[in-house]
Amino acid sequence: MSQPAWGKYGSWEETESYLGKVIRVSEGADAVEAGSIRRWLEPKEFDCAIHNDDEAAKAAGYEGIVAPATMVFTYGLPAYWQPGDPPAQAGDEPRQIPIPVIFDVPAPCTLSFATSVDVQFHAPMHIGDRLTVTHRLVDIAKKSLSVGDGAFLTQEDTYTNQRDEIVAISRLVIFRFNPPGDSE
Amino acid sequence: MTVAQRSIQDLEVGQSIGTIQIPITLQRLVMEAGANRDLSLIHHDGNVARTTGASDAYANTFFLMGMFERLCRDWMGPGGRITNLGPMKMLAFNVVGDTVTFSGEVAKVDPAAGRVTLSLAAGNEQGRKAICDAVLEWR
Repeated sequence: MSQPAWGKYGSWEETESYLGKVIRVSEGADAVEAGSIRRWLEPKEFDCAIHNDDEAAKAAGYEGIVAPATMVFTYGLPAYWQPGDPPAQAGDEPRQIPIPVIFDVPAPCTLSFATSVDVQFHAPMHIGDRLTVTHRLVDIAKKSLSVGDGAFLTQEDTYTNQRDEIVAISRLVIFRFNPPGDSE
Repeated sequence: MTVAQRSIQDLEVGQSIGTIQIPITLQRLVMEAGANRDLSLIHHDGNVARTTGASDAYANTFFLMGMFERLCRDWMGPGGRITNLGPMKMLAFNVVGDTVTFSGEVAKVDPAAGRVTLSLAAGNEQGRKAICDAVLEWR
């Protein structure tokens, strides 16, 4: 099978041209709703009534059922396919989670991995809310590690709801690199 | 809901917030990927995961963050808010076959502000796989 593509290729000068800029604005594919919350709680065996019971959520100060805070990542993701997209063909490269700092920002690197994530939570997510995510490249730090030479790229993601309230701000650090022996 | 609301008044720095043990099976990873929408192959296809240096398919970032949220929520109860989670540092893969223990302790208490900072970790007998700080606010 074909290997997944792992990032947009380009020079460090191209990488640096994105610093401080918005690199993508994404619309979450799905509104917050009880079924997707339940399916998210299920594999974690996560039992808290504010996430599945209106009365319990109201007693805790919410308008009604509230999504778990870290579901912000899920509700910010675009669809993997939507009406109007072309049909899949045998041999297509597999779809990966669309991380803009890997797939929209060019860098002279063939591999990458996430090293840390830090998120602040603001407005809660209630049933019916829809998220928009504004992704920015906010830091580039070149580094040599045992896995190879590359750079830590920091992506700041601002999640807002349909009322333009900030729901969360996350900072994701991705190390993009070449394994030893590969030339840039 | 099985957990009562905890009070901020009688907390001590260093006290345990309890533990959660969860077996990482391929079925759980598939359920998780479908639910959290991170469908990257490394999280459900062992052959692809092995080409990246892992021994098998491994849990994704969203699962770890969600489990740290559950750990905080199980301990705190329904009434407080989680205002910050992170930085979460990923140190090693949580692969199929691992049983991962999530644990934490109180790192800082500010009763006047209604704010508690926790130090959280995930790991098994081989060592720590992820560490994370959390800030909780009582209202």
